[in-house]
Amino acid sequence: MRPRAQSFYLDAGGRSLHCVFYKAVGTAKKGAVLYVPPFAEELNKSRRMVALQARVLAEVGWSVLLLDLTGCGDSSGDFSEAGWNAWLDDIAQARTWLRDNCPGPLWLWGLRLGATLAGASLQRDPASDANLLLWQPVISARQHLQQFLRIRGAGERVANGGEGAGTDTLLDQLRAGRNVEVAGYDLPPGLALPMTEASLHIDGAAKRVFWIEISTRPESGLSPASRRFIEANPLPEGEARVVGGPAFWQTQEIEELPQLLAATTEVFCQ
Amino acid sequence: MDYSRVIGLDIQKEVLDLLDNVLSLKGRALVFGADTPLLGSIPELDSMAVVSVITAIEERFGVEIPDDEIDGAAFATVGSLVEFVQRISSC
Repeated sequence: MRPRAQSFYLDAGGRSLHCVFYKAVGTAKKGAVLYVPPFAEELNKSRRMVALQARVLAEVGWSVLLLDLTGCGDSSGDFSEAGWNAWLDDIAQARTWLRDNCPGPLWLWGLRLGATLAGASLQRDPASDANLLLWQPVISARQHLQQFLRIRGAGERVANGGEGAGTDTLLDQLRAGRNVEVAGYDLPPGLALPMTEASLHIDGAAKRVFWIEISTRPESGLSPASRRFIEANPLPEGEARVVGGPAFWQTQEIEELPQLLAATTEVFCQ
Repeated sequence: MDYSRVIGLDIQKEVLDLLDNVLSLKGRALVFGADTPLLGSIPELDSMAVVSVITAIEERFGVEIPDDEIDGAAFATVGSLVEFVQRISSC
């Protein structure tokens, strides 16, 4: 029987979080997986691949909760109400729901900035039996933010011949307490400023950490930045690998990656 | 043998592969030549795509591109983009 997606809203201190739940099929329920999504447009582009993966995990006995963070997707609030700490609260709420409804070990599965958030969640709110699955993790949230802000600057300048506002100007505006509009997103300081300080943290918080990178040239191995991070922060009881495929969180067309599905499912069947 | 020309060809191959992936051109970019126009000719190349291409160049070539180095002239043709990458890589 194919796992069905159940949609519901979770209350988080007055905010309403949209969740999609794939309940594990079969009698052997192995545990729960909480998915933390990526930032801005990457959320939309990656939905299909994530839904496919969630379904496969449910088929092999893991219940999966796909969470929309405050201000994103179908959750309450618009983007200007998003915030780094608010998002950590959202994740905490979803973890509580899973703890109450799906016994067994917990995996936090994050894609891109969602991976950074997953690590931050385990740092802020430790758990005794939690693991991390990181898909193409963002190591520096600051760099991630700067790449996003560039859309207003360099992006505008090149594509539309406009002036564009420099990244430094936009950061000054945020520090002065003002939102900044980028590619249709009303970015608030409560989200942007913590991002300038946040980075991937995995030390001590998770029992096992699996890192999967996606590359169109997997034979080149992990990116230099990833290699440097892992050398400095060895993964507890886990591994890092690269699978072949396009960067589905940013490609123009929606892509499916069978190699990624296989590699991820393997982690959950160990 | 003119080694700079050989290296230039390799960079062009890398750049075309990168463009094809980032813009989901499904192989169309792989047959572009140095004279193939980019900006204005490829509808997929909007402000978000420009930033994705720049980020991909940074990651693939291991370079950091300051914002004020980026302008429309670099994206005019395949050749101008390859020259841009060559210049940035040799800094």
